[in-house]
Amino acid sequence: MRIAVLAHLQDVGEAPVREAMGLMAQLGGEAQTLLLAPAAQPAVAAMGEVRLGVHAALADPDPEMAYAAALRLLGDQAPGLLLMPEGPLFEMIGARLAGHFGMSAVRDVDAVELAGEAVVLRKGAYGGKAYVRVRATGGVVAALRAGAFPAAEPPAGSAAEVQLGELPEGGQERKTVRDTAGDDLGRAKVIVSGGRGLGSAEGYESLRPFARMLGASLGASRAAVDEGWASPAQQVGITGRKVAPELYLAIGISGASQHLSGMSGSRLVIAVNRDEHAPIFEAADIGVVADWYQLWPHLQKALEG
Amino acid sequence: MRIICFLKAILDPEAPPGAIRFAGKVESGEVATVLGPFEGNALELSVQIAQASAGGFVAVAMGDAAQDIALRKALALGAERAVRVDAPAGFQDPLAVARRLKAAAEEAGGADVYVFGRQAGDWDMGVTAGLFAGLMDLPFAPLVQHAEVVGANLRLRREIAGGYEESLRVAPLVVSVTNGPLTLMRLPKVKDVMLANRKPIDVLQAAAEPSLEIAEIAQAQVTRQGRMITGDAAQQAAGLAAELRRFLVAGGGN
Ligand SMILES: Cc1cc2nc3c(=O)[nH]c(=O)nc-3n(C[C@H](O)[C@H](O)[C@H](O)COP(=O)(O)OP(=O)(O)OC[C@H]3O[C@@H](n4cnc5c(N)ncnc54)[C@H](O)[C@@H]3O)c2cc1C
Ligand SMILES: Nc1ncnc2c1ncn2[C@@H]1O[C@H](COP(=O)(O)O)[C@@H](O)[C@H]1O
Repeated sequence: MRIAVLAHLQDVGEAPVREAMGLMAQLGGEAQTLLLAPAAQPAVAAMGEVRLGVHAALADPDPEMAYAAALRLLGDQAPGLLLMPEGPLFEMIGARLAGHFGMSAVRDVDAVELAGEAVVLRKGAYGGKAYVRVRATGGVVAALRAGAFPAAEPPAGSAAEVQLGELPEGGQERKTVRDTAGDDLGRAKVIVSGGRGLGSAEGYESLRPFARMLGASLGASRAAVDEGWASPAQQVGITGRKVAPELYLAIGISGASQHLSGMSGSRLVIAVNRDEHAPIFEAADIGVVADWYQLWPHLQKALEG
Repeated sequence: MRIICFLKAILDPEAPPGAIRFAGKVESGEVATVLGPFEGNALELSVQIAQASAGGFVAVAMGDAAQDIALRKALALGAERAVRVDAPAGFQDPLAVARRLKAAAEEAGGADVYVFGRQAGDWDMGVTAGLFAGLMDLPFAPLVQHAEVVGANLRLRREIAGGYEESLRVAPLVVSVTNGPLTLMRLPKVKDVMLANRKPIDVLQAAAEPSLEIAEIAQAQVTRQGRMITGDAAQQAAGLAAELRRFLVAGGGN
């Protein structure tokens, strides 16, 4: 079976690309790495033999540009298995490429096996409550969960640049706005996350002095984002950030499986919730059944003292 | 603008741990079927675009009659028509789903904007909108947070890594909708809910061969053996502060 890796080095970093390459090498067969980049950067040179599509606009790709670039890199013959790191490029074009080539698409894959002409992929389901193995027979684009596969040492060789030519304009009057809230969640050692239980924007704000005392970054549940108390960039969970701090504090968060799958890599989990039956307590190392607003004044004093 | 909004009802994603059992198959027990949260966002965006452009929207769901709850929500919020693509409940290959949704879209006469949720919340695929765009050969704008109608086009705000993007996009196009304060689903009026319950749901037969099948379903284990800090608020605070101090002294912290 023909297997290819497709990635944008800049949007996921080197490690997930090496993991995809490692999986590809382990599966064997005809293999090819396809990379998109705004320029032939040194990082690309470290990836061994790759086909490299370069275009300055790929520094901040519009979905239409990224799609056109990937199609040119892939040519008209899709591989039987296309591996992509889970990330922005997959979100923009992974499933769309699959639809274009008549392949299926699966995300959050953490194990892959070949079974003759079929590919068997393992992935999470029901927000992490279950996992499934799916068998794909007509070609599949798989988004790989970061950290699930051992990274490959890149083979020797160098990048062959592919001319992408003109890429189509995507959106007009396009601007991208950075949101610094949530910036440091990925590398934070301590995260304090708030949920709907905080009751109001002011309630969510009460986490700020607490986080400052702990040197923590602020995260949020989907409900707190929906309420507008926190920015989408702070959402922790299956459709938000996957975080793995040393300490994760969940305040007023019920512990829905979709939230847990974003924080399950945390080393120590402490939960504060006024409902003793809240599922978060089954995912916590230390639990406090309390109303945050009754606890916080005492906690503040105890931490200051 | 003409809009087609694709909706799926799923087992309540907030069902407590253990309420749904996964052992070879999905045993749903007493858990209710509800509109997934991103479907609420998709529906809200459809209503907003329809209103702002003096257009209308058609709601499409694929599955068995349990899907009607999604379609009735859409009818209560003003959908002109509800179409159910008949299919058995249970796992469906997203490519086969996208193919049948394409057939339904064509039957409905096509649209300017095809609106999907970001992720349905059963098999955690999050791929159907992209697959559909690839099959239709249409532009795809994922993770839309907000849409403003500008003449025949849409100014979209999309979530991207580390922030958001704003741009003017030309219809026809496919969007997936993510959560946020600007796409919170509005509540229908009681009268409209009652009217919606009497409206017809068109059932469409469309076939597509799956190329993806479930080989195994199993329970994932996530539980930790936690311990509780008990007492009154002051005692709990003291206990928690002691834990936090221990952690910080041991070198934790950013
Ligand atoms: C496909 C899909 C993807 C999703 N992705 C995500 C995701 O990425 N991230 C995410 O978070 N969710 C996600 N969700 C939503 C998830 O299912 C829940 O709806 C959400 O996590 C609930 O947020 P919450 O815990 O803040 O709110 P709630 O469930 O409403 O919980 C609030 C909690 O606060 C407690 N409380 C109330 N008052 C107080 C008080 N004064 N002091 C202490 N505790 C109090 C309550 O007892 C309750 O347990 C997703 C769902 C689906 C279907
Ligand atoms: N059976 C279905 N019927 C209608 N829409 C669907 C169906 N399955 C998926 N969708 C749409 O595709 C989105 C993403 O679903 P998924 O790729 O399964 O996570 C959902 O939010 C719906 O908008």
